[in-house]
Amino acid sequence: MATIAKAGPNTRLWNAEADEHDTISTRTFGFWLYMLSDALIFTGIFASYAVLSTPMNLAGGPGPAQVTNAVEGFWQTLIILGSVFAYSQATVALKNGSKAGVAAGILVAMVLGVAFVSMGWHDLAALTAQGNGYSRSAYLSIFFTLIATHGLHMGIGILWMLIMLVQIVRFGFTADVVARLLNLRMFWQFQATIWVIVYVYVYLLGGTA
Amino acid sequence: MRFLRHFALCAPLLLLAGCSTVDFALFHPVGRVAEAEYHYTLLLVGVMMIVILPTFLLMVIFPLRYRKSRNATYTPNWSHSTVIEILAWGVPFAITAVLIHYSFVGVYAVNPYNPDALDGSPGSALPPIKVDVITTDWQWFFIYPDQHIATIDDLVVPVGRRVDLRLTSTSVMNGFYIPRVAPMVDAMPGMRTKDSFEVDQPGTFEGFSTDFSGAGFSWMQFSTRVVSQAEFDAWTKTVQANPKTLPYATFTQLAHPTVNFGAKPAYFSAPDPELFNKVVMDAMNGVVYPVPDSLTKSVSSNEGKALVPAPASP
Amino acid sequence: MQVDLQDPWSPLFGRLTLDSIPYDNPIIVGTFLGAATIGLIVVAAVLYYKKLPYLWREWLTTVDHKKIGVMYIILGLVMLFRGFVDGLMMRTQQVMAVGPDSPGVLGAQHGFLPPFHFDQVYSAHGTIMLIFAATPIMAGLGNIIVPLQIGARDMAYPYLNAVSLWLTTAGAALIMLSLFVGEFSNAAWVGLMPLAELPYNPGVGVDYWMWAIQLSSLGTTFNAINIIATIVKMRAPGMTWFRMPVFTWVNLSTSIIGLTAFPVLGVALSLLTADRYLGTDFFTVGHGGNFMLYIDLFWIWGHPEVYFLILPPFGIFSEIVPTFSEKPLFGYLTMVAASFAIAGIGWSVWAHHFFTMGMGPDLNGYFSSATMLVGIPTGVKIFNWLFTMYRGRITFTTPMLWAVMGIFLLLFGGFTGMMLSAPAINYTVHDSVFVIAHFHCMVLVVAVGAFAAVAYWWPKVFGFKLDERNGQFFFWTFTLASIVVFVPMFGLGLEGETRRLDYVFNPQWRPLLIAEEVGIVLYCISVFYFLKMIYVSLRDRVPAGDDAWGTGRTLEWMTHTPVPFYNFAVTPQINALDELAWRRENGLDKVKPQTFVPIHMPSNTAVPVIIGAMAMALGFGMIWRIWWMAGAALLAIVVAVIARSFDKNQGYILTAEEIAKFESKTELASMIAEQPKRTPLDHVEAH
Ligand code: HEA
Ligand code: HEA
Ligand code: CUA
Ligand SMILES: [Cu+2]
Repeated sequence: MATIAKAGPNTRLWNAEADEHDTISTRTFGFWLYMLSDALIFTGIFASYAVLSTPMNLAGGPGPAQVTNAVEGFWQTLIILGSVFAYSQATVALKNGSKAGVAAGILVAMVLGVAFVSMGWHDLAALTAQGNGYSRSAYLSIFFTLIATHGLHMGIGILWMLIMLVQIVRFGFTADVVARLLNLRMFWQFQATIWVIVYVYVYLLGGTA
Repeated sequence: MRFLRHFALCAPLLLLAGCSTVDFALFHPVGRVAEAEYHYTLLLVGVMMIVILPTFLLMVIFPLRYRKSRNATYTPNWSHSTVIEILAWGVPFAITAVLIHYSFVGVYAVNPYNPDALDGSPGSALPPIKVDVITTDWQWFFIYPDQHIATIDDLVVPVGRRVDLRLTSTSVMNGFYIPRVAPMVDAMPGMRTKDSFEVDQPGTFEGFSTDFSGAGFSWMQFSTRVVSQAEFDAWTKTVQANPKTLPYATFTQLAHPTVNFGAKPAYFSAPDPELFNKVVMDAMNGVVYPVPDSLTKSVSSNEGKALVPAPASP
Repeated sequence: MQVDLQDPWSPLFGRLTLDSIPYDNPIIVGTFLGAATIGLIVVAAVLYYKKLPYLWREWLTTVDHKKIGVMYIILGLVMLFRGFVDGLMMRTQQVMAVGPDSPGVLGAQHGFLPPFHFDQVYSAHGTIMLIFAATPIMAGLGNIIVPLQIGARDMAYPYLNAVSLWLTTAGAALIMLSLFVGEFSNAAWVGLMPLAELPYNPGVGVDYWMWAIQLSSLGTTFNAINIIATIVKMRAPGMTWFRMPVFTWVNLSTSIIGLTAFPVLGVALSLLTADRYLGTDFFTVGHGGNFMLYIDLFWIWGHPEVYFLILPPFGIFSEIVPTFSEKPLFGYLTMVAASFAIAGIGWSVWAHHFFTMGMGPDLNGYFSSATMLVGIPTGVKIFNWLFTMYRGRITFTTPMLWAVMGIFLLLFGGFTGMMLSAPAINYTVHDSVFVIAHFHCMVLVVAVGAFAAVAYWWPKVFGFKLDERNGQFFFWTFTLASIVVFVPMFGLGLEGETRRLDYVFNPQWRPLLIAEEVGIVLYCISVFYFLKMIYVSLRDRVPAGDDAWGTGRTLEWMTHTPVPFYNFAVTPQINALDELAWRRENGLDKVKPQTFVPIHMPSNTAVPVIIGAMAMALGFGMIWRIWWMAGAALLAIVVAVIARSFDKNQGYILTAEEIAKFESKTELASMIAEQPKRTPLDHVEAH
């Protein structure tokens, strides 16, 4: 580093061509980063779940084995994976530039997403009705939080899909719309991944308990 | 750059000025564990000085020596030297390794749960004095399960005996600390922590809470009186004869938020033998002693007035 | 199952009543009158000079990274001043209220602040200084300088950038509001648990603290995403990773911390929110709650947060020391490695904040060792700066003075931090003012770094230098004040003075407390010189050249001063580390581009500032439990975000002729150049 490279006759000082950047890849990269921070939110909640699912935290209330239903969770898993599959069909249609194909894929993904969320909602409502609501014990608090946080993400995804349906019809496949569709795919797959972790960790293994 | 030189001179002078007016409590340990803490403080600081002092010197010398007006050697493009870079990583690395070693030895020596520093001490031959410490908002309860007595804000222990404490809290978190005597440890609701110490010379030492606990925190002191075994025995006898007792019901009355201005002590005989465990269980069952608005908003105006305790909410 | 607070509550105003306004407190009323007067004068001036449209067009709706950065820094400085006033009040209280015989005024038994008020002051001070002063200033500097240093036109997401700014501002506004409406938390900046839970804190104070931090930390996370994406995606051709200036590198490492640590804080605060609003039991003591979980989560964020703050100043020193030593930075590669080592190790040390919680000796020993490891890369940094000065040609302008002072502070703060990290020592000084002194050395590195950076980069942004004479006065008074306040504090810590005392029980400590008060007076003088420095510089406006200091080494000194809104007329091609120094060496530093191509620029947008205002309303509604307000604000945010996605505005094109015109002006209009008024494009070809 002590010697300084000398400028030659071909040294270039300015580069006018390099001005514009690939907007789609810049946007997807940013979304990746956002998902990383979202993953850390879930990590924090999972860690809290691990801490708060010991017998000490039940306060005499039900534990993981009593509040989860592995069979129903299995159906939910299938539904969310089906939804992701439907969305990936939409992405295939996007490559072919087919508006109808994309719309159909998204519509199916959306319907399955709504089905998933309502199943989760139903579960939590049933628990509450039994007197095992979120304020019953620290364990139930974190269990509700985990499911509800994931559900909230699903809800945002569904709203997003609705908006994309409108935008596909109104704008067609502009760079903005394509970038959003690709980000949404990432988001949706991520939610499915989180769910699988929830299912294995909470429904099958019952946390640390 | 006269300023810079002044600056370098001023800092230590200020410290010296401080030394002459008051003495540094922590540099005069009386407890065995506190002595170990002092020992490791000196040791670790000494090791750090091996690198901190030369760095400080370089930081004074380089800026002064290489300022433009002095026309010292100037190497406009020099920016790399393998030797210096190896030293820059290597020296701190070596020092840190030594520090980590002593930190590990030290943490066992002063471990509040079972300090190595008390191994083989005169007191360890005798059975330890057991004291249960319960902090409330904002007082200290000391319960002597073997002597069947209890005090508020007054810890009395015999000289040359090992003292084993268990600590918990009825409300928020507090830090238990007697500067020249015992290491700091937190007292927490629903939990049990421990602390041990042994003092070789009689005296009175100030203890207090170090972890902010609300409006009355600044008045949360207690005295630690280290007395001879005979005095201790005599003192226990007088307290045992005290007609005021401390059953659980009385305790829950006293546990309501109270600011004890001037840390006035109180003494009880026959405390509930299960008191400590009951307090831990209470907290786990969600018993709280809420702080009334009158106390939070204007503690100062409460001095001298009797407090009307609100019932504990289960 | 919302928590019933058994307080009066009305659907329209929630818990807010006339009693919530502390008009009976003379200090607050005085502050309010002062603030209101200044506010009115500013508003009147804006209206009188008909600057409102200008403010709206050029500042409030801007997406220009430099202007956003400037606004961040202004916000940070104002909050720094507020934090300083809190510091002044704390110090004055502690010097007045010593011993049982000390007098009391204004309704306090001792001193002039009753405990409840003092506790709010120190909690507000910590929160404001770390989250609303230091963080915005550092974010602002990153915003201004990073795109310039890598030769980019703007941040990767200009619109998101504005959203970050306004979210942070919303949080700051809430904290300021807590002074006049209701109360602030008394549970410290860390949210002491379970003290911050409802039974011990039923008022709105903790809610203010919670929502203010929550909003701004959202902004910080977005900003981190933006900086990372900018550095990864927007570098000019030839700007390889190892040609990036160290300031850019530290912004990358610091943003990685920001991106990954702040979500953890978000979780901790959200769980606390649920406890306080919905009656869950995460951190309560009963019902199986575990408040140690909060303490862990908080410090898992909290410790990386302090490195998040200290890394940018490390970058600032790494720019300033070479510039004023007229030499390249010594050990560039190890400097970069050290930054990432600090950021990485910083994740595994959090439990050193609660050695006294009764963790076993093995765990304490582990966290002690991990903490000590940070000393190695930090030491490397100090040595590298020293060897940059070695055989240099140092000029002591204000930025350099601040940098040298920062390095001194770092050494003292680091040395005492290393002491604290040994449990054997920590058991004696934990939660004493020794800790306060340790970390004020460190956070003063941040403050000093900020002053250094403002002095250093000011000419680049505004076109003229800060007044050197008053700058030096500011430096010496501030330095002296810091010594006089914090050196005695180390002493008091070693004598056993606990932190957070509204009443000092040991009269023996009075002499040192008085010494500290002298320091506070010096601080007041330093603020005076700061203001005078700004005033004199604005009055004189001695124009600065493109390379304002004459020895700049990095890209930002290559473009015009003040920087035009498009940054570089033509994107530079990078040939070396320290490109400008390299060009100077080759006699090419005066070569300017001759031919121009059109530039695509983003348009301004009002959406971010609306989102900020709505976020503030959301926070206010939640704090006072005015549900309609919170609901409406949330809805407005969702609608604004969706509406924005339907906006087809694609920015505008700046033609080559226009650029040529801008570039030929020898001296651009003072302050940041205004953008031309243009109708936006509504469609852009894919590039
Ligand atoms: C920007 C802020 C900042 C920075 C950079 C640091 C840096 C460090 N801090 Fe500090 N710290 C805080 C802000 C900061 N801290 C705050 C705000 C608190 C209190 C929070 C609260 O409770 O409210 C705190 C509290 C705190 C504690 C807990 C104290 C207690 O409550 O009991 C500890 C304990 O280990 C600690 C240690 C350290 C260490 C070891 C470093 C290291 O990174 C320092 C490394 C630097 C050096 C060591 C100097 C240079 C090195 C050399 C010259 C090389 C050779 C030297 C050796 C090998 C010794 N800090
Ligand atoms: C970035 C962080 C930061 C900074 C810079 C400071 C700066 C200062 N702090 Fe503070 N402090 C904290 C973070 C910080 N602090 C934290 C986290 C706590 C712990 C809180 C807790 O316990 O929860 C704390 C606690 C704390 C206490 C402890 C109280 C106690 O527990 O007993 C005290 C007491 O003296 C104090 C004082 C000061 C002083 C005098 C300054 C001075 O250095 C201030 C110097 C600043 C100036 C002189 C202002 C200069 C301003 C300008 C140049 C701008 C002017 C602009 C306009 C007018 C627009 N601070
Ligand atoms: Cu802290 Cu248990
Ligand atoms: Cu830390």
